[in-house]
Amino acid sequence: MGLFDKLAGWLGLKKKEVNVLCLGLDNSGKTTIINQLKPSNAQTQDIVPTIGFSIEKFKTSSLSFTVFDMSGQGRYRNLWEHYYKEGQAIIFVIDSGDKLRMVVAKEELDTLLNHPDIKHRRMPILFFANKMDLREALSSVKVSQLLCLENIKDKPWHICASDAVKGEGLQEGVDWLQDQIRTIRT
Amino acid sequence: MSAAPAEMKEHAEANAKWLDAHYDPVANLYTFSPCIALADLQGDGESKLVVGDLGTGLCSMKLKVYRGTSLMSENTLLDLPTGLVSFHMDQHEPRTPAIAVASGPFIYVYKNLRPYFKFTLPSLEVNPLEQEVWSQAKEDMIDPMSLKEMLEGIRDKADIPLSVRSLKFLILDPKEMEAFVNLHKQQPIRRQTVITCISTLKKNMADEDAVSCLVIGTESKDVYILDPEAFTILSKMSLPSAPTLMDVTGQFDVEFRITVACRNGNIYVLRRESPKPKYCIELTSHPVGLVRVGKNVVVGCAQETLQGYTQKGKKLWTVYLPAPITAMGLMDHHSRGFQAVLVGLANSEVHLYRDKNLISTIKTPDVITSICFGRYGREEGTLIMTTKGGGLMVKILKRTAVFEDRDMAPGPPLAQSIRLNVPKKTKLYVDQTMRERENAVAMHRAFQMDLSRLRLAVARAYVKALESSLTPVSASLSDPLKMNAVVQGLGPSFKLTLNIQNTAVCRPVMNLAVSFLYDEALYSMRNAFFQIPLLVPGLNYPINTFVECLTDKGISDIIKVFVLREGKSAPLLTAHINMPVSEGLALN
Ligand SMILES: Nc1nc2c(ncn2[C@@H]2O[C@H](COP(=O)(O)OP(=O)(O)OP(=O)(O)O)[C@@H](O)[C@H]2O)c(=O)[nH]1
Ligand SMILES: [Mg+2]
Repeated sequence: MGLFDKLAGWLGLKKKEVNVLCLGLDNSGKTTIINQLKPSNAQTQDIVPTIGFSIEKFKTSSLSFTVFDMSGQGRYRNLWEHYYKEGQAIIFVIDSGDKLRMVVAKEELDTLLNHPDIKHRRMPILFFANKMDLREALSSVKVSQLLCLENIKDKPWHICASDAVKGEGLQEGVDWLQDQIRTIRT
Repeated sequence: MSAAPAEMKEHAEANAKWLDAHYDPVANLYTFSPCIALADLQGDGESKLVVGDLGTGLCSMKLKVYRGTSLMSENTLLDLPTGLVSFHMDQHEPRTPAIAVASGPFIYVYKNLRPYFKFTLPSLEVNPLEQEVWSQAKEDMIDPMSLKEMLEGIRDKADIPLSVRSLKFLILDPKEMEAFVNLHKQQPIRRQTVITCISTLKKNMADEDAVSCLVIGTESKDVYILDPEAFTILSKMSLPSAPTLMDVTGQFDVEFRITVACRNGNIYVLRRESPKPKYCIELTSHPVGLVRVGKNVVVGCAQETLQGYTQKGKKLWTVYLPAPITAMGLMDHHSRGFQAVLVGLANSEVHLYRDKNLISTIKTPDVITSICFGRYGREEGTLIMTTKGGGLMVKILKRTAVFEDRDMAPGPPLAQSIRLNVPKKTKLYVDQTMRERENAVAMHRAFQMDLSRLRLAVARAYVKALESSLTPVSASLSDPLKMNAVVQGLGPSFKLTLNIQNTAVCRPVMNLAVSFLYDEALYSMRNAFFQIPLLVPGLNYPINTFVECLTDKGISDIIKVFVLREGKSAPLLTAHINMPVSEGLALN
């Protein structure tokens, strides 16, 4: 960081940069969520399944987020781990209407939490129990039960029910994430 | 108790491969593998499970569709379903498949889960005699009793079997006959057959969602291929027996192959342009499951075996199963290029075979009656099973699961099944074999006699050796000794080391001497006779002496060593030392 950048940081002119990994099974709504968080002039209208991954940026009151929006398709999930080192926080998205694949989401989450690049780091994890608008959607409590989130002891985590299409529940989650990152950093 | 770790290991093995996504033990779903299919019915990228539910077998037969873990829709079926397939009828967008349910002589076609078309098998030829008899009955020219007699006559002789109406009539009580005749005599007689199995055949493209023809097997021993849109009969082939299981591959317009297992216990292979079966596989017991893996056919038999055949009917292997087969299916994982055969067994296990190798075992809480692997929901590797108790079970293959190619079942090692390159039989071999076959008894006698002689000679030599103590181990019980000799050196000087050991348990041996016997023209020894000290039991006594070779002609001889007891002329032990040729030059 140059002197000017530091100065700008102290004065609150320049926001802190954080890298966030956005993970979760395919069709869970990751891209839709990230799209909603972007400034309205940068949002896209049609969202297609992500191939590989894409890098998106958005800002909150005090932070500047760089999000790695990973593809959740089975054949791309082995890409995730290459970005673990760079990530400072994780957003994990679950389709709360897909009861059948809750076990798959749990399996991927467990693999993630046991990865050497993640295991001993105190990085915050934000869960979105997405698609809460669906009739058959499970509640966020039920989702956290099925994923055994209570077993995560060494990382701060939070789960929010969300509807990414309407943008509901997203702000609450992002506020929590911002607070976490600030407490860790300072 | 000892079984527990093995069981746990097995459990862990299955857990490492499959995720338990869903199990509803009371789903009230009763079906078998031919009546279960996976299809993206709504074209939304999410595959549904379509099941022809047999209900109790008499009522509540239904066409059920599951989405994820829940039942999405139900349609009542009028009769027992015998098979169900999903297929693309046309090229229309969106490309959603139709469902065909075979039931009795009909095929009910559903599109968007709504009844769309009903196909009826062509009726069969009616026996003219039967027709004649019934028309007489219609005119009341004969009474029911004589009608019965005449029909029985026809039944026993005719080539064309009786219609269902006549057969029903024949089993009636005489009291009921009159009413039956009056009720039915006005209607024309029809002879119908029923569908026993159904499958699909791509019309002229190999794509996954290409338009497909329906292929049906009937009780009348025929196989029909139907046009996908018009449901007209494109082709008809005949079999020697009623088909029960069927596998179809290829394209109708190009080349195809229909493999059918029949009720006579044979499997026939039908090809394009041949109205009669091309190949026949005769099984030793009845086929209960038929799965094609690549170019091979895997058949499950009633006698608890699984057999592999080539597409031309050559048998490749047999696997013996621990229990009867209850369901069979193909596990075809496209993106991994992995194919194997799933076999549900009556002992509540599902075995996964790749060729003849058992590569994985899944334990199920109940005996499974149907099995199906494919894309369900958004998950490509999903295993769906229904159980005897009406349960529905869904397992998902882990992304990280790997199947070893090795056989997990205990049995002969892999090397045993590798074919050896055995050379052709030569004339000599054949002649010898003939000779052996003709003179077996004489040869055996000659052999036995020589063997006895050999034994006698050996025994004699042994006794002689013992008597004259020519052996390096002493035979006398009072002085149990052992000796061996080592020669060191290149020559002309050699060092001889005699290792002498007293093998008694606790008694020492005294008063022994060693003497050497040799050709004095060849060798000289400084000391050819000396005393041996007291031998403590168990210890090894190395005794060294030196031999000088006197000749430079490159010849060698034997030196004999005797261990003697004071006052006795017969030696206790004898050892023969084969001296090496002297390689060094004598200095003088
Ligand atoms: N009903 C409903 N649909 C949603 C919601 N969020 C996303 N979707 C829909 O879910 C589908 C998949 O959304 P994506 O954002 O592409 O999912 P993704 O997680 O990025 O998927 P991949 O890129 O394949 O990993 C889209 O059709 C979205 O419109 C939600 O909250 N409710
Ligand atoms: Mg995406």
